[in-house]
This record gives sequence, C-alpha cells and structure tokens, in this order.
Amino acid sequence: MNASLLSIRGLRTSFPTRRGLVQAVDGVDLDVRPGECLGVVGESGSGKSVTFLSVLGLVRPPGRVEADAIGFLGRDLSRLSPSEMRAVRGREIAVTMQDALTALNPSFTVETQIVETIEAHDPSVGRKAARTRAIEMLRLVGIPDAERRLSAYPHQFSGGMRQRVMVAIALACRPKLLIADEPTTALDVTIQSQVLDLIDDMRATLGMSVVLITHDLGIVAERCERVAVMYAGQVVETGPTRQVVETPVHPYTRGLLRSMPRLSHLDAPLLPIDGQVPDPTRLPEGCRFQPRCPQAIEECLQPIRLRPVSPARAARCVLAGAEP
Amino acid sequence: MTPLRLLERLLQLVPVLLGISVIVFAMMALTPGDPVQIMLGDSLANEAQKESLRRDMGLDLPVMERFVRFLGNAVTGNFGLSFFHRRPVGEIILERLPATIELTLVSLVIAILVAIPLGVIAAVRRDSLLDRLATVGSMLGVSMPGFWFGILLILLFAVQLHWLPVSGRIGFGQEVPAVTRFVLVDALIAGRLDSFLDALRHILLPAVTLGLGMAALLMRVTRTAMVEALAQDYVVFAEAKGLSRARVIGRHALKNALIPTVTVAAIETGSLLGGNMIVETVFGWPGLGRLVVEAIFTRNYPLVQAAVLLYAVTYVLLNFVADLLYSVLNPKVRL
Ligand SMILES: Nc1ncnc2c1ncn2[C@@H]1O[C@H](COP(=O)(O)OP(=O)(O)OP(=O)(O)O)[C@@H](O)[C@H]1O
Ligand SMILES: [Mg+2]
Repeated sequence: MNASLLSIRGLRTSFPTRRGLVQAVDGVDLDVRPGECLGVVGESGSGKSVTFLSVLGLVRPPGRVEADAIGFLGRDLSRLSPSEMRAVRGREIAVTMQDALTALNPSFTVETQIVETIEAHDPSVGRKAARTRAIEMLRLVGIPDAERRLSAYPHQFSGGMRQRVMVAIALACRPKLLIADEPTTALDVTIQSQVLDLIDDMRATLGMSVVLITHDLGIVAERCERVAVMYAGQVVETGPTRQVVETPVHPYTRGLLRSMPRLSHLDAPLLPIDGQVPDPTRLPEGCRFQPRCPQAIEECLQPIRLRPVSPARAARCVLAGAEP
Repeated sequence: MTPLRLLERLLQLVPVLLGISVIVFAMMALTPGDPVQIMLGDSLANEAQKESLRRDMGLDLPVMERFVRFLGNAVTGNFGLSFFHRRPVGEIILERLPATIELTLVSLVIAILVAIPLGVIAAVRRDSLLDRLATVGSMLGVSMPGFWFGILLILLFAVQLHWLPVSGRIGFGQEVPAVTRFVLVDALIAGRLDSFLDALRHILLPAVTLGLGMAALLMRVTRTAMVEALAQDYVVFAEAKGLSRARVIGRHALKNALIPTVTVAAIETGSLLGGNMIVETVFGWPGLGRLVVEAIFTRNYPLVQAAVLLYAVTYVLLNFVADLLYSVLNPKVRL
C-alpha cells in the first residue's frame, strides 16, 4: 500500500484576489501507484487542475503553495530547487493540458515543440536524433504521415489530432507519470474515446501511471482502477473505482452518481445536486458540502478529515465510520 | 509564403500608390493661387519670366495631361527642377536621403535595444520597482516633445560637458569620400576609424533623442504584449515540459509578444523617416527633414511635392514590410 509513485500530503494552494483569499486546494492527500490510472473527478472549480499544477511547482505568484510533503520516487518535490524541479517536469512527470489549442504555442511548428522538450532533458542528443524521436512519437500517437506533419503548426491539425500532438510532446521523454487534465472535454464523443484509448495504450506501452482529470465519472468508471472525488478544494472520497461507484459513501459522490445518466444504477430519476458550489472566498465551516447535503447533522459543522472506510477506501464525511 | 503570393501582395500596392499620387497631385493642383507667383514670392520677375517658368513646369497644360505627366515623371524619378537650387529635385533628395535613413536606422537600433529588454523585464517582474520606473520613464518619453528633449541633451552633453558636438553630421577635416552616402559606412570603407568615431559622436545625440522617444512607445507595447503572452496556456505548458525559464520567456512568450511590437516599430520608423524635421533642424542634421523645412520656407513647390510623395510611398512600403514580418512571426496569418 505504501509503494506509491506520487504521494501528496496536506497540499494547500491559495490565491489572493480582489474579492479575498481563494483557497483553491485545501488539504489534499492523494496517492498514485505505479502503473495505475487514477481518476480525479469533480465539478468545475473544485481544484483539480490547481492540485497538479501545484505538484509541479507551476503555480505562479501571488499564488501560494504549501504542502507537508509531495513524495515522488523517494524525493520530496515540495523541497526541490527550481532547477531540480525543472528536471522532473516533462521528464518524470508530464502533463497534457485541458485545451490543446491554447496549450500548444501557435508560433512554433510541432517539430520545434517536441524537439525542444527532448533537448531540454537530454542536451547531448543531436538535432537529427531528436527529430527522429519526434517522428517516432507522432507515429506512436497515431498521426498519419508523421514525417511531413512534423513541420506543421498546431492550427493546421484537427482538434483530436492536436490532442494527440500534445500527448506526443508529453510522452516524448517517457515519463513515469502522466497527468492528463481533461484530455477530452474539447472533443466530440467518437474522438474522445480514441484519445482515451491512446492514453491507455501508452500507459501499457511505457508502463507509466496516469492521473486522469475529468468531470465525467463515466469515463473514470470505464478506465481508472481508482478514483478521487474532489469538492471545493478537498478530496471527499477515494477508493477503488468499482467500490466507490457501487457503494458511494459521501453524499456528494452519491449526488454526482445520481446526476450521471450512464451510471445511475439506483433506480431513482436523474437528479441534479441541490444548491450551488460554494464561493471559494467564503467556504462553509466544517464539511464543505454540508450546506447542500441532504443528510447534514450538527456534527458536520466541525472540521473533518478523510476517514478510512475500509483498508482501500476513505471519505471526508461523518457517515464514513458508520458504514456497514 | 510563396513568391507568387508575395508578387500578388506587391501588386496590391499599385492602386494604393496610385491613390497617393492622385492626392499629392490634387493637393498641388487645387491649391488656390498661382503656384508660380507663390514660388517666386516677392521676387521681381516680369510676366515673360513667369510665363516661361509656367511652361517649364507644364502648368499651361490641361489638368489630366498634367497628371499623366506627373505620374510618368514620378515613376521615372523625375520630379522636375528645384527653382531654388537650379538642380533636379530628385537629385537633391537622393543626396539628403541617406543622412535621414542613417539617423533613422541608428535611432531604431537604439529604440529596439532599449525597449525590448526593458519591456520584457517589466512584464516578467510586474509591479516591481524596475517595472514602475520603466513605466514612469516611458510616460515621460511619450509625452515629452522630441525637440525639447533634444535641446536638453545638447545643453548637457555638448554645451556643459563638451563631450559631444552640438550639431552636424561629421566634423571638419573628418570627411570621407562618399560611396554609400552613409557616413558611418563610408568611414569604415575608407578605413578611417577616427572619422567613424567622429561620425558616431555626431549621430549619438539626435539618434538618442529620436530613439528614446520611439523606445518609450515600443516598451509599452512590448510590456503589454508580454504580460498577455505570459498569461497564456502555452507558457504554462512550455514550463510543464521542463524548459528553462529563459527559453520560456525569450522564445515562447516573446515570439508571440513581438507581433504587435514589430507592427508599431514599422509604423514608427515610417514616421521617423518622414517626421523628424524638427529634430533634424535642432541638431543641424543635413537630412531630408531639414531639406523639406527649407523647401517649405522657400516655397519650393516641386521639392515639397516630391518629398510628400516619398514619405507616403515609404510609409506604404514599411507597412508592407510589417505585414511580411507579421506573417513570419505568426504562422496563422497567410498573406
Ligand atoms: N491564478 C489564479 N488566481 C486566482 N484563482 C485561481 C487561479 N487559478 C485557479 N483559481 C481558482 O481556483 C479554483 C480551482 O481551479 P481549478 O482550475 O483547479 O478548477 P478545476 O477543478 O480544474 O475546474 P475545471 O473543471 O473547470 O478545469 C477555482 O475557484 C479558480 O477560480
Ligand atoms: Mg481544470
């Protein structure tokens, strides 16, 4: 159980804004195991992206990141120097971002954008070798006519192909962990599953772990061994996907499942969760979900941590211990 | 961009240039009063002399014919005789043009060397002391009239400190044979380091005056564009790939930020080539600007006409160059 590849403890990220301090990530604990696919789900604004930007040291001032520890292969990422951190980014932990159109630089060819990544981590590769590897990567992610497409600019690709290009860049240095931030939100359904298949294939081929960030519990149910559900900057439930989907503990997870057509195994009608996501500058006391929770009790106003439900599962809810 | 596309773009300039010619011609043709009388001013010429001048200038012909002639002459670089100099206008302009171009280029180099690094640093260290100082400086630079700044520089560096010459392009006894008519280049061709340094000392103050004025605006543009570029997803992704900070800022952000900067620099260069009459006059710089000022005071019609046409054409061509650079920097733009 302790053989985590990435182990985040007590991660807190905040942004001072004109309206007050936004506590975007508030005490997140997460583990990613070797070779697994961890799904991270949650509504928009729940802190999914910021969590992993924080892990990679990509939150810019005035944003502030604090962590008890971010363990990765025996190192604590929260204590690395900027240059040590740079060596981890792209080389050991790679990222694909939500929107390939804005994440790829419009002014550079795909070749430049892959080759520079390879060169950044292996300055001794020649231009030619780097180019060959770039072509190899484009082939690997299924871009037809890779050699010719190398000199194209991002806007000359279709949405799905652009996503593949971003995957190719991310995987160019064979990372041990890929953080795929909503790789499919911008794509239509058939292309979505192609891109997800590609990421699955790559995970098997390169033997890496994947963190799949998404809104869609359905995707997680199909593709991830484990899931972490986030709400208002916190992980509210985590465990093996099947168990979480079949017997959700946290009322938020239950609500999320009930609002999803493909997964509503309960015979209840589709129900959106009542109420609204809390204002990130004025978070409720105690459990963040308590104002919207149908089962809220007095005790929910007290601060609460993730509680074990079973050896493999945990939930941030007073009901967690009471589960049969 | 293909050569064919380039040709097409160049051909598109033809109607623009034609339009400019019509306007310049009409300006002169429609000006009330007898141009000959205006040109001769108070000088005591008799009717016969005026008549002959009128015929020389083709002023006795119908308007359309005069326009066609004007156009034909303009294309072949024949802008008529300067009554005042008793020499062809084209020749006089060509003689003065290199001084202006030289001054403009040196000013442009100064502007770029100052503006781009400052703009980038100000954007990267937003709200730092340096950013604030640069902002104040550029506001001063934009709002301060060039001639006034020029006079301050002369007073300090030439009159007070005697470090630099007050005016002119090169000192007595330092002249070098004209090959390119760019004195800095000619001095090097002649192998005269002393002349080169002397010319450099002469060009320094006017070029700093013009260059800093331009830098003030360019820096604002660069800073704004950099701030915007640095906030883009592709900068985060570039960092996430593990690229060095220098590469993320200097390549990924800067290449996109340069697009507006280049456009403004080209337009500013155009107005430097045309609009530095005051600075050239203040520094006694023997360029086109001063020539035009003289021509206006002496009512030298053909010369003013030619100069206006030249300015307009330069402006159009520089915008064309800006478009070209734009398409190089931004692959999404196909000319
Ligand atoms: N640079 C920033 N400055 C201020 N607030 C920020 C900044 N970046 C993120 N936030 C805030 O942090 C919170 C979490 O954002 P995050 O992008 O992690 O959400 P997310 O779960 O990834 O949502 P989505 O599904 O829409 O991508 C949001 O309330 C967001 O407004
Ligand atoms: Mg996000």
